[in-house]
Amino acid sequence: MIRNKHILLAFRFVVGGVFIWAGILKILDPLGFAQSIANYRIFPSALSFFLALVMPWLEVVCGAFLVFGIFRRASSFLFSGLLGAFLVLVAVTILRGIDVDCGCFGSLSQKVDYKLILTDSILLFFSLNIFFYRR
Amino acid sequence: MKPKKLFYQVVFILAFSSILGIVANFPLIEKYFKGEYRYSFLSLEKYSSITFITLAEAEELFARREALFIDSRSKEDFRASHIMEAKNIPFETHKERKDLNVPSLPLEGTLVVYCDGSECQSSVELAKRLHKMDFKDIRIFFSGWAEWVRKGLPISLENDKK
Repeated sequence: MIRNKHILLAFRFVVGGVFIWAGILKILDPLGFAQSIANYRIFPSALSFFLALVMPWLEVVCGAFLVFGIFRRASSFLFSGLLGAFLVLVAVTILRGIDVDCGCFGSLSQKVDYKLILTDSILLFFSLNIFFYRR
Repeated sequence: MKPKKLFYQVVFILAFSSILGIVANFPLIEKYFKGEYRYSFLSLEKYSSITFITLAEAEELFARREALFIDSRSKEDFRASHIMEAKNIPFETHKERKDLNVPSLPLEGTLVVYCDGSECQSSVELAKRLHKMDFKDIRIFFSGWAEWVRKGLPISLENDKK
């Protein structure tokens, strides 16, 4: 685990910044995001709708908390959980052979593929380091 | 940090975000409870030329020969069988292209777009593209091919019409 404060600060800015950016893009188009979730063909329609309304705000709120150092551990805990869930979802989607856009960055989203697993893993690594750091 | 404190903070963040999401999207939630977005998360205000139709409505349009049916499934599926006289625009192979290359379709006429059934979304995505291309009356037959076949309505087999 990384203990260097400057590196951890950089991790916080990267993870927080990425999620704030991703969240804002999705807040601008909640229906588009609901459709992206529905395209994974895992969640029932009502749940896709609810997740699409709430999750982008969770990303922005948590991201802002992480950047400003408020509830640092709780925010990184939630991000670690989200990223872990994204990883499982991406892996399952690849295994099922479903060809979809990830929906991660609204209309700027990339395809669900192995590169996305790498991106999510790096962010998860950053997030876990923030979570386990004790002053 | 004690686990209890972490738990409270997590709950606070989740509750705070949920409240923000619900308040910010209240008009959408109202529409949802009035029955919108049940087929697909499509804003019918934004896509004013698109409507969703039932099997009965699709059947009537077909019987009166008032609409052109468009099959958004793959070329292979279409070749195997499709709604009689439908044209094929396989969305998966066309979605990266800017132009759908559909010169023979009438801009003012009624188009009925369909795919496999309620699990598939390619008819919705194709309808969005057609809307952007200025087609005026696009109807999505959402229960699609599966329902059509189940009811034993007219189909073409292996005839490669496109």
